[in-house]
Amino acid sequence: MEKILLRNIDIQDSHTLQVYESRGGYRALRKALKEMTPERVTEEVKASGLRGRGGAGFPTGMKWSFVPKDSLKPKYLICNADESEPGTFKDRLLIEKDPHAMVEGVILASYAIQSHTAFIYIRGELAFGAKVLERAIAEAYQAGYLGKNISGSGYDLELILHRGAGAYICGEETGLLSSLEGGRGWPKVKPPFPATHGLFGCPTIVNNVETLAVVPWIIDQGAARYAAIGTEKSKGTKLFCVSGHIRNPGVYEVEMGYPFRQFLEEDCGGVPGGKKLKGVIPGGASMPVLRADEIEGVRMDYESMQAAGTLLGSGGVIVMDDSTCMVKTAWNIARFFAHESCGQCSPCREGCHWMEKIFARIDNGSGEKADLDLILNISGNIIGRTICPFGDAAAMPAAAFIKKYRDEFEEHIRQKRCVLT
Amino acid sequence: MDPVKLTIDGREVVTTKGKKVIQAAADAGIVIPYYCYHPKLSIAGNCRMCLVEIEKMPRLQIACNTDVSEGMVVLTQSPKVVEARKSVMEFLLVNHPLDCPICDQSGECWLQDYYMQHDLQGSRFEERKEHDRKREIFGPYVVFDGERCIKCTRCVRFLQEVTRTGELEVLNRGDHSTITRFPGRTLDNPLSVNVVDICPVGALTDRDFRFKVRVWYLKKTPSVCPGCSTGCNISVETYQNRIARFKPRVNEEVNSHWLCDEGRYCFHALTEVERLTSPLIRQEGGLVPTDWETALWAALTGLGKADPLAGVLSGRNTNEEAFLFGKVIAKLSAQPALEVFYQERELTETEKVLKSPDRSPNFQGARDMGVSTNGGFDLLLRELIEGKFRGAYIVGEDLVSLPGNGEKIRQALEKLSFLVVQDTELTSTAKLAHVVLPATNFAEKEGTYTNRKGRVQKLNAALVPPVGALHDWQIFARLLPDVGEKISSHTPAEIFQEISRQIPRYGGLSYATIGELGIQLSDETKQL
Repeated sequence: MEKILLRNIDIQDSHTLQVYESRGGYRALRKALKEMTPERVTEEVKASGLRGRGGAGFPTGMKWSFVPKDSLKPKYLICNADESEPGTFKDRLLIEKDPHAMVEGVILASYAIQSHTAFIYIRGELAFGAKVLERAIAEAYQAGYLGKNISGSGYDLELILHRGAGAYICGEETGLLSSLEGGRGWPKVKPPFPATHGLFGCPTIVNNVETLAVVPWIIDQGAARYAAIGTEKSKGTKLFCVSGHIRNPGVYEVEMGYPFRQFLEEDCGGVPGGKKLKGVIPGGASMPVLRADEIEGVRMDYESMQAAGTLLGSGGVIVMDDSTCMVKTAWNIARFFAHESCGQCSPCREGCHWMEKIFARIDNGSGEKADLDLILNISGNIIGRTICPFGDAAAMPAAAFIKKYRDEFEEHIRQKRCVLT
Repeated sequence: MDPVKLTIDGREVVTTKGKKVIQAAADAGIVIPYYCYHPKLSIAGNCRMCLVEIEKMPRLQIACNTDVSEGMVVLTQSPKVVEARKSVMEFLLVNHPLDCPICDQSGECWLQDYYMQHDLQGSRFEERKEHDRKREIFGPYVVFDGERCIKCTRCVRFLQEVTRTGELEVLNRGDHSTITRFPGRTLDNPLSVNVVDICPVGALTDRDFRFKVRVWYLKKTPSVCPGCSTGCNISVETYQNRIARFKPRVNEEVNSHWLCDEGRYCFHALTEVERLTSPLIRQEGGLVPTDWETALWAALTGLGKADPLAGVLSGRNTNEEAFLFGKVIAKLSAQPALEVFYQERELTETEKVLKSPDRSPNFQGARDMGVSTNGGFDLLLRELIEGKFRGAYIVGEDLVSLPGNGEKIRQALEKLSFLVVQDTELTSTAKLAHVVLPATNFAEKEGTYTNRKGRVQKLNAALVPPVGALHDWQIFARLLPDVGEKISSHTPAEIFQEISRQIPRYGGLSYATIGELGIQLSDETKQL
C-alpha cells in the first residue's frame, strides 16, 4: 500500500521545509492558488470522500461548504491539535515529523473557506511538537506560503499557534473555541453550529490534524486517486495508534476496510508472551471495547466498526491480553473521564464521578451485584443527554465493559478481589 | 413576525418564528421544568431539566435552545421525557447535602418543588458526597453555600450580562466545579442581591433576610418600591406585621425581573423606627401628646396666620395624598408655595441599569397633582433658608437631617412663626414643630405612585398601622372640611376617581384599570 500520511516521516529531517519541498511539498498549494477557485478546492475534497479524522467521521468537504459565503464576519480555520484521547498518538507523530503537511493543509483549507486567520490549537503537553510547529510556521512565512499575497496569488493568511493547557475537553471543537476565546474550556450549546457561529461568533471550521495533513495529497494527486482507496463509504487511509499488550506498538497507516484481526495478528505481531487476546478498544478510550471473539470479520472502517457495536473513533487501538483485570481497566477509564468532565452539564458532571466511585468500590472488594445494573442505568442516563459528546464518551465504555465482561465483574464482586491474581 | 404552528402534547400552538420551544410552551400554558434557563439571560443549556422529545429527532432536545419550526411535534410528558427528568433530578441531588431543615431556601426551592413533581424516589447514591465551601461571604448581602449549588450559572451570567461587573465565575472541573469570586473581588455591585432571587436553590442566600422567617409564613402584597422614581414592582413580604423582605415582581415595562440593593433594603430605614402614636403639640417650650381634634385645630389656626406659607410634601406620598394636600394648602394661603421633595445624586453605570437619580418615588405624580408651584424644590428650600416664609407644613421629610444644608434649615425653621410636621417618627425636623401629626408609611397605605416615565402604579397596604397614627390622606381629608372644602371621597379609590375627573392626564383611569402592573399615561413624560 502506498503511504500517504506517513510518506515523509522516515526521511532524515522530514520536519524541515527543504525536505518537505524536495518531496513535492507545497506543490498542491501553488496549484490551488494558481489554478483552482476556493469552491473547486472544496469540491475536490468532497469528491475525495475524506471524512474527519478527529473521531466523528463527518465528511470534510461538506463541513467546509457549510461556511456562509456572504457573511460579512471574518472566517476562521482551526486545526485541532489537542490530541488527548487515551491511546491516541497519531497527530503527535504528524506534528513532530511532518509539520509542513499540516501547515499546507491548513492553508489549503483556509483558502477553500476564504479564511484569512487560521489557528493551530495544540495540546499543552505537546511542548516539543509546539516547537517543531513554531519553526515550520516561521519557515512557511519566510518562504511566502503564509502572510500577505501568498505565492503572488493575492490571497492572505495569518497562522497562529496557540498552546492549550492540557484539558481533554478542549479537544471537543466548541470547548476548543471557548478556550481559544480566552474562556473556560466549556463546550457550547448547539445550535448554532461553529460553521456559522464559531470562534468569537464568526463562521469557523475546526479540522483534526490528520484530516488537514492529507488535504495537500488530495489536491496534488486528485480526488479520484484518494477515493479509489478504501471502502465505498470510508475512503482513503487512516492512522491507527496501537498500544498495550501487542508485540509491535506504534502508528500504522492502514487502508480503510483492512481486516482488523489480520492487522492485529500480522501487521502488529499479535499478543506477546504466549498470552491470549482478551479485548481491544479500537478507537481510543471513549469507544466501546470489543471482546476477542467479537473482532472476527470486523474491518477497519467507519461502517464495519459501527456494525460491530463500537466506533472507529480516533484510531487509538488499545490491546489487552488475558492477564488484564477488566474491573480495574473499566475503573481506570472511568477515573479518567471523571477527572476530565468539564462539569458544565448535570448528567456528565455528576454521573461520571458517580460511576467512577462505584467502579472503585467494586475494585476494592466492596461492590454488590446490583451495582452493575446501577452503572448501566447511570450510563444510559448520561448518553445522549449532554451538551457535548463527552457524556457519551464517558458512558459508552463503562457500559461496554460491564456488558462484555459481566461474568468477571460478578466473580470479582463475589470474591471481593481480582479473579486474575 | 412570521407565525409558526406547532404541536405540543397534542395541542396546536401558534407562536412566532425565533421563539424557543420552552417559551412557546410557556405562552400556551404548558410548563416545561428548568433551572438554568432565564428569559433575561443567555442560553446556557446546562441543567438538562427541560429535555423534551421532538418528533423525527432521535435524541431528546433541550427546550430552552430549540427553535420552533412549522409542523414541529413536541412531547413534554412522554415516558422518555419523564424518565429523563427523573434522572436529571437524581444527578442534581447526588452531591446535594439534603439539608432542607436548615436551608433558608426551603419552601421556595426548585429542587424541592421539582423533586415532588418529577422525581419522588429514594436516593440510589451510596458513595461519599463531595464537599464544598459553606457559608462563604460573597458580598455585603450575599452568602454562598457551594454544596447546595447546582452550577446552573445564572448568577455568573447575570453578573456578566446585566450588571456587566463579572464578579463570579465557575472554578474547577467535574463534580469539583464551584462558583467563586475572582481574586480580590467582592460581590458588592448595586444590583448584587438579584443573584439571590435568580438562584433556584439555596446556594446564594440573602444575608439580610436569612433565618428570620420560614418563607411559607410570609404574607405577600404586590406593591411598588419606594426607593426611587423608577417604580420597580415589588412584593412586600411580611411576617407578624413587619416587613421581612422585598422581592422584585416581573414587569417588563419597568424593572423586568430585577430590584436594586438600595431599594430592596430601603424598608429598614422607612419602617423600623420608633413610631409616633399620638399627635403632639408645643406647650411651654415642649411637645406634649394631645388628641387629634385639638392638634388639627391648632395646626389649621396656626398655619392660617402664618402667610406666606410653604408646603413640602414627601416624594413617598401617594397621588391621592398629593391631590388633597394641594387643596388644603390652597385654602390656607393666598399664594401657596408648594413643592414635593426632590434631590438628585450621581449614579454609576451599574446603578443606571435600574436606579433613578432621586429618592422620591412619586415626585412625578405629586407634580401632576399640582404640588409644584414654586419653581422646584431647590428654590423653595433656598427661599425657606432665606426667610421668605412665616409658616411651613412639612410632610414626611426630615429636612433638618439633609446633608449639607441641615443646620441652615434648622435655623430657618426655628424662626418660623408656625411649623406643622407630619411624619411617622419624631424626626429632628418634627422636634422643631408646633404641631406634630403621626402618619403612616408607604407599606401601610393604599394609593398610587406615578413613576419617572409617567406610569401609574398601585401601592397596597401590607402592614397594619399603629393605633393612633393616621394615613396622610386621612389627615388631609379631616382638615379639608375645616378649611371650607367639601369632600365626598372617603377612600383612596374614591380620591383617585376624583383625580381622574379633575386632572386631564389621569382622565378615565381607575384602580381597576391600573391593575397589578400599572398603566402608562398617554401624554409625554413631563420634563423636570
